[in-house]
Amino acid sequence: MRGTIAFGLLSSILVTAVGCSPPLPPAELVAARTAYASAEKGPASQQAPAELHVAKQALEQAERAFSEDSNSAETKDYAYVATRKAELADASALTLIAQKEKEQADKDASRLTGEQLKSAQRDLASTKNELASEKTAREAAEKKAALALADLKKLAEVKQDTRGMVITLSGGVLFASDQSTLLPQAVIKLNEVADALIKGNPDSNITVEGHTDSQGQRQYNMELSKKRADAVRDQLVARGVASDRIKSVGYGPDRPLIDNKTAENRANNRRVEIVVEPASPKPH
Amino acid sequence: MRTSFFFSAALAVSVVACGGGAPPPSDRLATAEAGARSARELGADKQPKAQLHLKLADEQIAEAKKLMADGENKRADLVLQRAGADAELSVTMAKQNNARAEADKAQERLSNLKAGK
Repeated sequence: MRGTIAFGLLSSILVTAVGCSPPLPPAELVAARTAYASAEKGPASQQAPAELHVAKQALEQAERAFSEDSNSAETKDYAYVATRKAELADASALTLIAQKEKEQADKDASRLTGEQLKSAQRDLASTKNELASEKTAREAAEKKAALALADLKKLAEVKQDTRGMVITLSGGVLFASDQSTLLPQAVIKLNEVADALIKGNPDSNITVEGHTDSQGQRQYNMELSKKRADAVRDQLVARGVASDRIKSVGYGPDRPLIDNKTAENRANNRRVEIVVEPASPKPH
Repeated sequence: MRTSFFFSAALAVSVVACGGGAPPPSDRLATAEAGARSARELGADKQPKAQLHLKLADEQIAEAKKLMADGENKRADLVLQRAGADAELSVTMAKQNNARAEADKAQERLSNLKAGK
């Protein structure tokens, strides 16, 4: 009997306990709580506090509806809305972050563009300066060459032909008859020619050609013309023309300027020609 | 017995009056519809996540209209609150998507500038 009473009491306690246990929240409310907790931990707390506050109020409304009537449709509706508000707070924060990133990138791009523009302007100015200096240097070189040519024209006959610039010096001015030793005044003259060549054509290759008239033995004349060409070349080198760009050659009577019939013609054929080849362009 | 019948009838009438007697939630409907329109204008119907919420908003607006036609204004009001929340979320997601695309574009432009392209 006692046992029966005790069992009855226990059963009634259990029934009461079960009756008092809080009702389980609907899935919508669980989702809303999770969504809000997630939004609160995310960037919304910093970037979108107003939206997060709205989400909190929506969740509180759902919680109130649940505590008033755990099975009500309103609880589910309000919880559904609260979930959207929490997601909205999150999306608002991400929007703001993206907008700030864009703003910063635009600012950086603008600064960089400005720098690049300035750099391009500096480069342009520097190129202009270089061009101007090059032009000045070229003009100076041309002027120098023109002066040197004028100097040469005072000293000897100068002409242009397919070989380049040809400076013709009369044999009679340079050498005594049948000799290959330069006369003293010839040395002075050749020094002036050398100076003009160094000044005006510092990079050209030069060939000194010896020529005779047709009188006497050809072999003798060949040797004489070569010796005379050598003498002129040596004098030019002695004055400073680079030896590696000057050579000498004797043509004897083979290349007369004119026929050898008269004494005057023969005098004209006895000569030394200094052939200055056009300078090849400098490699860049 | 007769008295109790009258009481029951009066109670039933008042319950019906409470549900159907609520004013139609026209403002809520207009707000939800405007939200859905804005979302569409922002291109929400071309962006997967925003599109989902726009679809939900549309469906719930249609449901609410049916409820209103049946005089279920109170229920319609709650359904429209859901619809409004979905439409608003769709708008924000579309904005987020657009802002992200703009930011990515700006950053790409900056990278290209840095690389001297």
